Amino acid sequence: MRELCEEAVAAALGAGASYADARVVVRRSQVVGTRNQRVERLDDSETQGIGVRVLVNGAWGFACDRRLSAEGAGAAAQKACAFAKAAPGGHRRDLAPVEPGQGEFRTQVERDPFEVALPDKVELCLRAERALEHNDVQVTSASVRAQKEHKVFVSSEGAAIEQELVECGGGIDALASRNGVTQIRSYPSAHGGSSSQAGWEFVEGLGLEREAPRVGEQAAALLQAPPCPSQVTTVVIDAEQTALQVHESVGHPTELDRVYGTEAAYAGTSFLKPEDLGSLRYGSEHMNVTADSTTPGGLGSFGFDDEGVPADREPIVAAGMLSGFLTSRETAAKIGSGSGGSMRADNWNRMPLVRMTNLHLEPGVGSLEELIGGVDEGLYLETNKSWSIDDKRLNFQFGTQVAWEIKNGKLGGMLRDATYTGITPEFWGSLDGVAGREAWHMQGLTNCGKGQPGQSAHVSHGAAPCRFRNVQVGVKA
Amino acid sequence: MTDDVRDVAARAVRAAAGDDADALVLSERSGLARFASSEVHQPTLIENCVVTLRIVRDGKIGTASTNRLDDDALRLLAERAGAAADSAVPEENFPGLPQPEQLPEVDGFDEAVASAGADDQARYARAAIEASSVDAYGFFTSGVTEIAIASTTGLEAHQAMTDATTLVIAAGEGASGYATQTSWSADGIDPAAVGREAAEKAQRTRGAQQVEPAPYRAVLEPYAVADLISYFAFDAFGANGLLEGRSYLAGRIGETIVDEKVTIGDDALDQRNLPKRFDFEGVAKHRVPLIENGVARGVVWDRTSAARAGDGQRSTGHAPPPIYRYFGPYPFALAMDGGDVETPDELVELVGDGIYVTRLHYLGVVDPREGVITGMTRDGTFRIRDGKIAEPLVNLRFTVSVPQMLADVPGISREQQLVNVNDFYGERYPIAALMPAVATARFNITGVGSDPGI
Repeated sequence: MRELCEEAVAAALGAGASYADARVVVRRSQVVGTRNQRVERLDDSETQGIGVRVLVNGAWGFACDRRLSAEGAGAAAQKACAFAKAAPGGHRRDLAPVEPGQGEFRTQVERDPFEVALPDKVELCLRAERALEHNDVQVTSASVRAQKEHKVFVSSEGAAIEQELVECGGGIDALASRNGVTQIRSYPSAHGGSSSQAGWEFVEGLGLEREAPRVGEQAAALLQAPPCPSQVTTVVIDAEQTALQVHESVGHPTELDRVYGTEAAYAGTSFLKPEDLGSLRYGSEHMNVTADSTTPGGLGSFGFDDEGVPADREPIVAAGMLSGFLTSRETAAKIGSGSGGSMRADNWNRMPLVRMTNLHLEPGVGSLEELIGGVDEGLYLETNKSWSIDDKRLNFQFGTQVAWEIKNGKLGGMLRDATYTGITPEFWGSLDGVAGREAWHMQGLTNCGKGQPGQSAHVSHGAAPCRFRNVQVGVKA
Repeated sequence: MTDDVRDVAARAVRAAAGDDADALVLSERSGLARFASSEVHQPTLIENCVVTLRIVRDGKIGTASTNRLDDDALRLLAERAGAAADSAVPEENFPGLPQPEQLPEVDGFDEAVASAGADDQARYARAAIEASSVDAYGFFTSGVTEIAIASTTGLEAHQAMTDATTLVIAAGEGASGYATQTSWSADGIDPAAVGREAAEKAQRTRGAQQVEPAPYRAVLEPYAVADLISYFAFDAFGANGLLEGRSYLAGRIGETIVDEKVTIGDDALDQRNLPKRFDFEGVAKHRVPLIENGVARGVVWDRTSAARAGDGQRSTGHAPPPIYRYFGPYPFALAMDGGDVETPDELVELVGDGIYVTRLHYLGVVDPREGVITGMTRDGTFRIRDGKIAEPLVNLRFTVSVPQMLADVPGISREQQLVNVNDFYGERYPIAALMPAVATARFNITGVGSDPGI
């Protein structure tokens, strides 16, 4: 694989590139999904190929080939250069200097998820499903997944890197319905559960079967719950929904390619400007956000990113002040700060983009109970149900699967159809408490979309429950 | 194409010797010239060919895929698919593998689009950029996709498809406009027109004003209608949502659910869309009425959901790609019938006082059972006053029940526009929606966002 990358880079330089890098990726994935005791998915997929990225006269070009052969590597290099030469524009690009990466990185696993027998994975899902059953639950579902990615990166600057990333995860859902009302509860999070860069021990640790009875009962109980009223109130948000809030309203707006407008045509731009670095108040003093591609178990962990920049840990928001951006070598050079480290490609046939790695809201102090104890009247919101945010990442609206009334510092009755909405800096400015390390955990998402053609990134977020004041809840159609 | 997809499908089926099996081969050769600040910054060329083999053993189903196409790789593919099948539990309602049937002949392939290379894609991108009088952000893409299916039941299906899309956001500080165009034929490619439309719209968005959140009458351009109906369709128009009682149409088939002016269907055979002969199981495509004159008529089906429904239900040819099989059948060729309003200006007149929406952004399904969707307007939102388009507006958050929004429709444009609804994730499979502009008596604004522009 390394030789193929070297051949591709040499071919690109021979075709006029001033810079070239090549990535070979061999990826295998398994998904087992069951629904109402039927096996709905039992997929075992593999894909492999080489992607070549070049700079010719300051213009990027990217091409790929599924053939892991000298012919495929050479063809990808030639085509990437041809596209770069044809690309209209003024084209001037500098890359932040970086020591050419050399080395290896492998996910530490106790039990290789591909060594776990498929029938055992099916049985795990079916058992968890049975534990979800309840009279009012019409649809039960469970899924587990695993992925192993072996990739080699070589650049014309001398980088030569080999990495093997292993991840797995799972989740369960119960859908209850009666008299025209339909409600869902999920664990450990919605939209496919949670994943980690780890071995099968992570899936076993989720305790899907153990948690299922509670999930099924809550889905059924939601059918009886009144809708969340429309009001401005105090909300305490669980760690899982907080993770998504961090993802959408901190992660994406701090991607420096969005700030410079190069994602405008799809995902959007950002309310942030380059000159805001170090001077913009993003939120209250309780808000500390860190980008950390070294976090064990994080889906965004690696030895080196897809530009060959070594993993690192950087503050993004410190005590409420914007203190960093997520960068590529190109955007780091443009802003004159840092050296990249956030470039990731979905696969061998996609160009790397500035992506979140692991973006954590750092823990505060105290417990969830203490956060709730500080609320006279409000809501505790759990588990994402829907999400939407504008192109500059300012105006957001989220729905959660369940809300619990808080009265005089105690949890009360259950409410359904909860939503909350806000404007990013105002919302984070209203943060007046983050629970401590004991309540902090990581959530791994596998559906972060960006780019044209589209790319899905796998990212993790550590978060603890948070309390926000004066939040609009209960948006009605 | 580099690979003969029919040969690959046949070899994959042969590799599953002794088992019931079908093989789906999807190949792509595409280029996408993505631009920002009027410069192509992310040009991507893709060639790939993926074979997915489904093996059935004693009613148990397993699937595996690979993009290695030599015989050894296909043998290993069969072993993995077989192991997956052995690990499953029997599917009680599995209808067996599809039988061969007469497939419709459709257009949808243009050699001029198929042969477009990097130089052509860059040239089209340049045309879009140069036609925009303000900075252009967007892409031009064209590609050829081939799909072949073979099975041990003797099914052999094949189609080559082309598609080309131009998308431009013309934008500067405090101003932005949007336009897009998609087609399977070279006759439908006019990037300069897209660039001009986006720029003209952008020029009118400077000085955007705010409005109070409230329900407004509104005109939605086809871009916005395509997005909204596509998101509504995720749950409402597929068989699984109906069977599981979680979609808006569950329990409402035969009822009047929207204005009688509204007729929505799925028609992959319409050559004005991106035509398809068959679905991802090789079953012939059929036109499916979903809403007729305001009455809920039905949903789309694949063979699995049809078998679960029983009662003589048949597949309508809407099996999804294997990786989305758990999601169930989906209408990939949505179309809303045009109405009797000749011009967009007439729709604005019909609304009288309200809001004009060019396009939407980042939709989210809040409540699938009630068809509630939220999202933002973007790149061309205006106030309508006295039957005319008035001042530009900031981006607005809306939260609407789609059936409520369509319950009172003052008018629908006669002209329909083909709108790309493909974000090109994973393997390329061209899809688009054929939509008119729609005037509604109720478009619920629930928040205000930022100014248009970068």
